[in-house]
Amino acid sequence: MPENCEATITLTGDLHARPAGALSVAAAQFSSAVQLAVGGGTEVDAKSVLSVMQLGASSGQEVTVRAAGPDAQEAVETLIGILSSATKVGD
Amino acid sequence: MAARVGIVLVSHSASLAEGTAELAGQVGGGTVTIATAGGTDDGRLGTSIDKVESAIRRADTGGGVVILPDLGSSVLTVRTLLADELDDLPGPLEVADAPFVEGAVAAAVTAAAGGSLKAVLDAAQEARHARKL
Repeated sequence: MPENCEATITLTGDLHARPAGALSVAAAQFSSAVQLAVGGGTEVDAKSVLSVMQLGASSGQEVTVRAAGPDAQEAVETLIGILSSATKVGD
Repeated sequence: MAARVGIVLVSHSASLAEGTAELAGQVGGGTVTIATAGGTDDGRLGTSIDKVESAIRRADTGGGVVILPDLGSSVLTVRTLLADELDDLPGPLEVADAPFVEGAVAAAVTAAAGGSLKAVLDAAQEARHARKL
C-alpha cells in the first residue's frame, strides 16, 4: 500500500559531492519517489546526483526528505541517516 | 544481482580522463568499474583507438559499457572503433552524448546503484540539462 513519509534534518556539515553520491545511490534502491528540498525550497529528485549537488545544501540548513510509495518510510529513514552521518566530516 | 554497467571515459588528455574517473569513482562510492582511454599511444594529447578498445575490455564486467567521449575527435575515434564491429568486443555498448564531468558522475552513481545500461546512459545524457547554479 503506497504511503507518504517526510522528515527534516538540520545539516551539521555541507552536502558535498561524495555524500550527494551516497545519497543518490541509496535513494535509487527504493521504489518510492524520493524528493529533497532545502529550507522549504524547490524539491529535487534524490535519485539524481547532479540535482542533489545543485541544492548546494550547507551546514545549518534544514533539508526535508519526502518519499511516496511502498517503501517510503524506509527510504526516508535511510536518507536521513546518510544526511546525519555523511555531512559530519568536511569532505 | 546482475552485473554492474561499466564506464569508459575517452579524453584527449590522459590526466583529464584519470582525474574525471577518480572523481566519478569516489562520488559513486568506489563500486563501479571506470576505465580510461586518454591521450595518444605515445602520450601526447589526442585519442587512440587501441586505448579505447582496451578500456572497453577493462570496463566490461558483464553488464554492458557506457562510453563517454570528451570532445570532437574522441567521438570520431569511438565511432570508428564501433563501426569495425569487432566480434570479440564485449557488449552491449552505448555512447553517451553528455558533458564529460557531469555525465561521468551521473553515470557512475546510477551504475553504482545497479542501474541498467539504459538507465546509466540516460543519467549521463540528462546531465546536459543539469544546472550548477
